[in-house]
Amino acid sequence: VKTLRSLPARLAAALGGRRAAVAWGAVTLLALAALAPAPGLSRREAASIAAADRQAAAWRSLATGRTLPAEAAPGDEPGLGQAAAAATHALAGRIGDALGYRMATALLGALLSALLALWGLEIAGAAGALLAPALLWVAPRALHHGLSAAPDVVFAALWIATALSWRRVVAGSAGGGRAVATGLLLGAAAATRAGGLALLALLGAHAIVARAAPPRMPWRRIRWALPAMVLLAPAVALVSTPWGWKAPGRLAAGLLLPAGEPAGAGVLAEAALALPLPLLAAYLGGLVHLTVRLVRSARAGGDLSDDALLLLLVLGAVGLAAASPAGSGLGPLLPALATLALLAARALVACAATLAGARPGRALATLVLLVLYPSVRATLHHFPHLAAAWNEAAGGAPGAASRDLPRQEGGEAAAAILAGIGAHARPGARIWWAGVAPEALRAYGRDGRLRDDLVPATGPGEADLAVVVQDGGARHDDCRAWSVMGSARPVSSVYLDEVPLVHVYARPGAWW
Amino acid sequence: LGGAREGAARRTAAAAGGLLRRAWVRRPSAPVAGAIGLAAAVALTGVEAVLFRAGLPERLPSDLDWRAAGALVARDARPGDAALVSPPWAERARSALPGAVPLLPLRRAGDEDLVGVRRVWLVSLPQAPGSSGRSAADLSARAVAVDGPQRLGALEVTLYTIAAPTLPLAYLPDLLAGAEVQAGDRPCPSAGARGFHCPPSAARVAREVREVNGVVRPCILVAPDPAAEVPLAAAFPAVPIGRLLRGQAAAAGPGGAPARLAVSIDGEMVGTVGIANDGAWRAFELDTGRFAGGARRVTLVLPGAAPDAPPVCVEVMSLP
Repeated sequence: VKTLRSLPARLAAALGGRRAAVAWGAVTLLALAALAPAPGLSRREAASIAAADRQAAAWRSLATGRTLPAEAAPGDEPGLGQAAAAATHALAGRIGDALGYRMATALLGALLSALLALWGLEIAGAAGALLAPALLWVAPRALHHGLSAAPDVVFAALWIATALSWRRVVAGSAGGGRAVATGLLLGAAAATRAGGLALLALLGAHAIVARAAPPRMPWRRIRWALPAMVLLAPAVALVSTPWGWKAPGRLAAGLLLPAGEPAGAGVLAEAALALPLPLLAAYLGGLVHLTVRLVRSARAGGDLSDDALLLLLVLGAVGLAAASPAGSGLGPLLPALATLALLAARALVACAATLAGARPGRALATLVLLVLYPSVRATLHHFPHLAAAWNEAAGGAPGAASRDLPRQEGGEAAAAILAGIGAHARPGARIWWAGVAPEALRAYGRDGRLRDDLVPATGPGEADLAVVVQDGGARHDDCRAWSVMGSARPVSSVYLDEVPLVHVYARPGAWW
Repeated sequence: LGGAREGAARRTAAAAGGLLRRAWVRRPSAPVAGAIGLAAAVALTGVEAVLFRAGLPERLPSDLDWRAAGALVARDARPGDAALVSPPWAERARSALPGAVPLLPLRRAGDEDLVGVRRVWLVSLPQAPGSSGRSAADLSARAVAVDGPQRLGALEVTLYTIAAPTLPLAYLPDLLAGAEVQAGDRPCPSAGARGFHCPPSAARVAREVREVNGVVRPCILVAPDPAAEVPLAAAFPAVPIGRLLRGQAAAAGPGGAPARLAVSIDGEMVGTVGIANDGAWRAFELDTGRFAGGARRVTLVLPGAAPDAPPVCVEVMSLP
């Protein structure tokens, strides 16, 4: 018991500050790389992979001087995340097709963990360094995005990296090199997601607050960083999309405005029903703690620069997530969740110190156990269907299904039926994959998860088997399969807590 | 006696006031109160989360429960039986219940026509999160007898005998294989289980299952060729006719123009059904009393469609 009680302090002492960050980065990279092959590919991730392939083709054509057909050119939206996925796929695609694309996320996820550990160390000590990344990744939905090739984690990592770099600039502990790095990081963030340049406005607002409030930051601290951000950020975004230069108006619109119908407050409602409740309580506690600190600093005339930056980051990230296209899950909210994880770590450390005085270890360990254990358990329970994770307030997967909430991000649960199809589908069977992206099927084929002799069918009429993804919405695809197959009785299904995620219907003789 | 009571009440109030005053004086500082609040919130939600996850398997049926329900229904099923699950996502019933007892693809039994159904087996998961007793209430309101519920682990099985079952003389979607289909003057050959196709046009008529506004129904899909703009007719040669032709119709695809389906018996128009593309089934009833008592030729005609007219799905039955 003694050993366990002193474990956090001993771990923190052994790892030290930067070593804790390196250790978190390494653990995250290994964990994400190890888990990445398991989940299926959603339609959103498949679209990202298709965009990554277009990016790769575009860069190759630029390098070789060949003309790229118009239909194969990347779109006007920022694509640095997809370019990173294409690069890691080129390097690691032989190990696994899906894994190759997802390695970019694993690498940037490792960076995100390391940055959170560093920032946690600075605002909450060694315990904060150990806690902050854990408080992000134990959320099943956060881990889901950590195992996807969609660029949500890449953007979150660049968002936090830019903010941390800026924080050091404002604190006066950085030189000109840091200013350039901040500009380049901001540019990379802007080149990863439409609307990413909003971070420039947020940091500008923070500069005004830091200058106006005591101890009144001197302007000279940011005399290089601000121009660097204003000049370098658009430059990086432009350099990363050379095929868009012919239509600068469209390119600017693509960089600034997220396409599609905005998610609005729906993304917050989804977070409230998807994040494990104790984790949500810790996040909210962190936000309240931040607000109280800000009010106290403002009243006492103390330094509120750091807390103002954290508050602006949370509000800005939530606003950007609300402006992101609906149906993206919690991916666009990851920068906000990462910042909330920092705040939660600090609040838990402060809470334990307040309650237990000079020996807060046991109180902190209890609080951490109460937050992390249910979240880890939920993650283990839902894996690999992490996008189907709903919290206790929603009633888990069954309660969410009763409320018609989505049961998956978009067809990724079909991966769980591939082994059954390999074992039971008759040779050469034609399969209609309703709700599964063609890119996902190609990746399953290349990874050896789908038999070579099986042929995709364009509709149930010409299919021997119909694989119908259950997403909680309208059941037109089921109806089509029932009409054609002559039976509404599936031959195989995937369930999560009794909620169906995928059904397979078969013509007589097609399922052995 | 009244004075004594009043004195006791005063003493109690004074004691309570004293307690409150002492509690207020000894109240924790704001930081301690905040820390207690956060710790309490984390503790409550953490314990709630652990209890929820630990208790969930008990609230959901096991394979054994489903097998028991399947065996029970198989043992006592009769022709005219159907099953309904509550909550509607509990679709393991599709595999677990015997194939002879079709699963009604309904979210609620409400006032839906349960065509040909005399008894309904309600298989419910009463302890599942999000479960409600609405389907049981709907069926109870329509039942003349209720047998159960019988508890099988986390499942409950209840048998409802419907008081006034809808027993049609004829259900036209099931008669489509014997129908004659024409696009304009050209007969459309049968394509077997796929219904009728009318080459060279894209028009077709088929028996399908369609979901409109969350309600799934078998129906006759009448899909004219927008380019051809000729009427599409499906004639059913010998339909037993009673007092009413009843049904539901809905637009079954994209297209903005409203459609109108004409129904005739032995060449005589008995009515038309207007179908707007508003994403809902439209119920209709046509009086066929003057044709009652014999087998008649019933024809459904979708006149020359506008270019943006949607296909139409229509469920029609002849009632005594």
